[in-house]
Amino acid sequence: MENFEPVIVAFCCHYCAYTAADMAGSMRLSYPANVKIVRVPCSGKVDTIHMMKALEKGADGVMVAGCLEGDCHFKSGNTKAARRVVFVKKLLEEIGIEAERLAMFTMSAGMGTRFAQVAGEFTEQIRKLGPNPVRAGLKARKAAEKVA
Amino acid sequence: MIDHNTDPQQRVLVIGGGVAGIKAAMDLSEARKNVLLVDKAAAIGGLMTQLDRTFPTNNCDLCTISPRLSAGARQQHIELMPMTQVTALEGEAGNFTVTLTSAPRYIDLEKCTACGECHKKYPECVRFTPGLDHRAPTCMRYPQATPQAFSIDMAACKDVEGLVKVCPAGAIIPNDTEQQHTRFVSAVILAAGAELFAPGKLDHFGHGRYPNVVTGLEYERIMSASGPTLGELVRPSDQKQPKRVAWIQCAGSRGINREDVSYCSSVCCMYALKEAIVTKERFKDDIETTIFYMDMRTFGKDYEAYYQRAKDRYGIRLVRCRPHSIIPAAQTQDLQISYAKDEESGLITEEFDMVVLSTGFRPAEATKQLAKTLGIELNVHHFTKSGSFEPVGTTKPGIYVCGVLESPKDIPETMVQASAAACMAAKHLAKGEAAVEIEDEYPPERDVYGEAPRIGVFVCDCGQNIGGALDVDAVVAEAKKYPHVMLAEMSGHGCGKDALERIQQAIKEHNLNRVVVGACSPRTHEGLFQETIRRAGLNKYLVEIANIRDQSAWVHSGSRELATAKAKQLVRMAVAGVAKSGPLKDHQLPMNTDVLVLGGGVAGLNSALELADKGFKVVLAERTGRLGGLAAIVRRNLEGDDVQAYVRQLVAKVQSHSLIEVVTNAIVVDHSGMPGKFTTGFQIGPRMYYRQIEHGATVLATGSLANRPKQYLLDRHKAVLTQLDLDGVLEDQPAQVKEWQTVVMIQCVGSRTPENPNCSRICCQTAIKNALRLLDLNPEMRLFVLYRDMRTYGFSEDAYIEARRRGVIFVRYAPETPPQVAEAGNQVTVSFTDPILRRPVEVTADRLALSTGLIADEETTEDLAAIFHLQRTEDGHFLEEHVKLKPVDMSVPGFFMAGSAHSPRNIRESITQAQAVAGRVQSLLAQKTINLGAVVARVEGEKCATCLACVRACPYNVPFINENRQSEIDPAKCHGCGVCAAECPAKAIQLCHFEDEPILAKLEGLLERIA
Repeated sequence: MENFEPVIVAFCCHYCAYTAADMAGSMRLSYPANVKIVRVPCSGKVDTIHMMKALEKGADGVMVAGCLEGDCHFKSGNTKAARRVVFVKKLLEEIGIEAERLAMFTMSAGMGTRFAQVAGEFTEQIRKLGPNPVRAGLKARKAAEKVA
Repeated sequence: MIDHNTDPQQRVLVIGGGVAGIKAAMDLSEARKNVLLVDKAAAIGGLMTQLDRTFPTNNCDLCTISPRLSAGARQQHIELMPMTQVTALEGEAGNFTVTLTSAPRYIDLEKCTACGECHKKYPECVRFTPGLDHRAPTCMRYPQATPQAFSIDMAACKDVEGLVKVCPAGAIIPNDTEQQHTRFVSAVILAAGAELFAPGKLDHFGHGRYPNVVTGLEYERIMSASGPTLGELVRPSDQKQPKRVAWIQCAGSRGINREDVSYCSSVCCMYALKEAIVTKERFKDDIETTIFYMDMRTFGKDYEAYYQRAKDRYGIRLVRCRPHSIIPAAQTQDLQISYAKDEESGLITEEFDMVVLSTGFRPAEATKQLAKTLGIELNVHHFTKSGSFEPVGTTKPGIYVCGVLESPKDIPETMVQASAAACMAAKHLAKGEAAVEIEDEYPPERDVYGEAPRIGVFVCDCGQNIGGALDVDAVVAEAKKYPHVMLAEMSGHGCGKDALERIQQAIKEHNLNRVVVGACSPRTHEGLFQETIRRAGLNKYLVEIANIRDQSAWVHSGSRELATAKAKQLVRMAVAGVAKSGPLKDHQLPMNTDVLVLGGGVAGLNSALELADKGFKVVLAERTGRLGGLAAIVRRNLEGDDVQAYVRQLVAKVQSHSLIEVVTNAIVVDHSGMPGKFTTGFQIGPRMYYRQIEHGATVLATGSLANRPKQYLLDRHKAVLTQLDLDGVLEDQPAQVKEWQTVVMIQCVGSRTPENPNCSRICCQTAIKNALRLLDLNPEMRLFVLYRDMRTYGFSEDAYIEARRRGVIFVRYAPETPPQVAEAGNQVTVSFTDPILRRPVEVTADRLALSTGLIADEETTEDLAAIFHLQRTEDGHFLEEHVKLKPVDMSVPGFFMAGSAHSPRNIRESITQAQAVAGRVQSLLAQKTINLGAVVARVEGEKCATCLACVRACPYNVPFINENRQSEIDPAKCHGCGVCAAECPAKAIQLCHFEDEPILAKLEGLLERIA
């Protein structure tokens, strides 16, 4: 457990969060390498299935990052994303996975600092939570397959 | 030599292939105008290709410029003639005849593959060795040179026969001769640049004698991955890493001594800060950095923040002093600098391992000859002469200028001028498109349907940008193991011409049907790689970029191991994703070529006028009831021109133009659409009726506000006024002004403060303008200017010198101890500390003029940013798409900006931007159709359950239920957000290019090995 390095998937909208992540790069800010970004046109494009699949396959945390409220490039995609995140959190609780493994963030394209900051904070939060319980199941299944 | 194009009306000659010339040529080419680009060097690129990184992004230059260069070479309307100079020009605007002389290259450009065999065997036949180039001699200036070919110095060759034989391509032409060409051109753009001062002439600095004294450019070359030391920072004398590096600013500039020039080179403060920051970034506490400066001139957009970062975050030491000389330390090759500081008495002597001289621009000797050939006049400093209101004009109609040939300036300013020059030059071409419409040269698209994925992976090292922070070889080796990967290799500067050609070659050789590039951000480079594979016959949507630079190398530079591991994972995700991607088709729509200009100030008026003169219909919408903006209350500029007269004639021209409709009291309330097809709704006063305007492009020229902070008794005492107020008083009440005995001015009032951290750029020159006018009225007047840094950049330094000569007293104050102002009857008392005397001084003044500058009109920009979905800077100005390369384009396609909505600037600079914007709009609207791209939602009708989820979810009300009771989405209306696809419970909707399959495959690629 001491060497637990969480795997975090960050769905970032092209116009703000992904740009902010690039901005963090050009500002040479550092954030944990645990965070891997998947680019989507809008945070509203992030499907329930995408979030669930990421966790099902063993990601320890999932970030959905979009534009600031009211500043969505597609008017209201980010508010739809936020609603969907709340919904998926409930689903997670029902099936016994900590809802804190999923979170929504908003930022503008210029907020490289904020991206680095939330990436760092979220990684720490997940580190404290420990590995995704699904992982244990995945491992057990693999082991069982080997035995069989 | 036979001319390809014989129509005399249809070509612009661009002289000089640096960034300015390339930008102008590319803008014209985008607007489908033919360009003849000549450069006296063997490869285009100019000075910028020699730089390691550029401020304020601290990007590598080759990465930003080389895609432009290779794109430049690919542009179908550009004819490039390297090693060519203009020897004569006859005729007039619209109808020039130019004589060009090309030096022999002794190499057939068509045949040369730049294999390097010739210079391996015959290194003595070398023509080009840029500064400090002490590695293997090469006659290519930089790795991605365009044209990608060598050139031979035949005079140095002793074995011609052997040389010819050594070339496997048979490209060497031993009997090549100088050639003369005659061409008809309609207009000329001069972008011949300037030279950097060679400080060897200043014996007190010892450049050339002491090996460890280098110029700023030489330091860049040492730091550059493509430089002589391959990016190793070592000092020339002993190849050891220096521990203490000093910069001396204004070496050869702002001086009165022999070999000095009086003007300010405008870029050296920023480049010294940049070099120091990059040094600190790479070496942290291992290298101490000190900058000796007179005034820190960080006056550009957000540059002040960069300066503060240099001090506070990187710990760069800044010493305000102009050291006289550099003295070598005995034996060690170290260098001593002695200097005095205000705060301490006596001379301080320090030792440094290396000293960098921040040298500025000098007009090239060849410029004088070129000016004579073209028949244009130069100013006193031998830069081109242009008018206050014709910033890119010369003294001869039809000849325009851009870049440092006009005055010293940085790259963003150069880019703006280049676009402006392109706009102005295009005026002399007949309206409409180029006579010769060249056929679309894309090869037919290969059908990859049904084929198993065959993926090629190319990983850039991006100079040291990626390679310096992670193990590119390991990433490549790992990528070879991923499913469907046929080939993985390192790609050097992956966006360079040769790397792009290598990708195309590999696609053909290995019959690849998908490509992954481990590179920088898809935001900036996706289009380039898409076009590259399209040219190799693949559908452009079959490439995926793994962003291993911005999102790995740059953010995990602390740990090579972590950065490498992450890069591997990012590439793996991209491979998995692209394997599941399919070919897509772009959708197209006819283009609306009308333009909406918002803002009726100098910038908006000029943009509107230039566009209307080019035949575009323009609606100019102004929020207030009058035209002219801030300039309508300015009386004189620094040059002394009558600004009112200028604005009056400008307004009159706009109002009488048949293609311009002016709408005043117009407030934007809604907006929709895409470039080529926008609809913007207005409420129009006084009765506030609603009106929609349809347009293809939008220009934002909404200006800024004259700042009026409640400081120093402003608006509470009648002796206190702003510089803008004073400008009016000077014109209207000269008799009263003559009565004043003492006037004090305070700079940076409301600028460079915690509330408004940026520099207002115009205040130093405004203060000096008014000081000189005060002295014109009363030469006996006592004048004090209290300042923090005098930022009279470029030639406005001359006015600063003039003001000092005429007795204006300039006293510096520190921001911690600002001047104090108290009432004294009709006068005010200003108290401050004199830093030289180190004593408090009290002056009773008849007037106190505050340099309050400009601030962003936050309310307006906030509203407009919300309606148009635009980005803003932290201080409320609009944010450009790319601060260096696209300074007037905005991140939302089809939007452009000019004037002080961008950042504070003077009238001349606003006009330049306005013309640049007109040029950019012209380029956009030259396309007959709008390419909507392929990122649109697609419905699989048979899966649709008619639940209306998509109809409710779409932010633009696009989906509807058709006669088959299925959801239908019009690709022309779809914005491509994908919200409907995410909401659809039956998964009947997929967003093209972002389908579920590749997204899930990416997750799979990342998470596969977790268990």
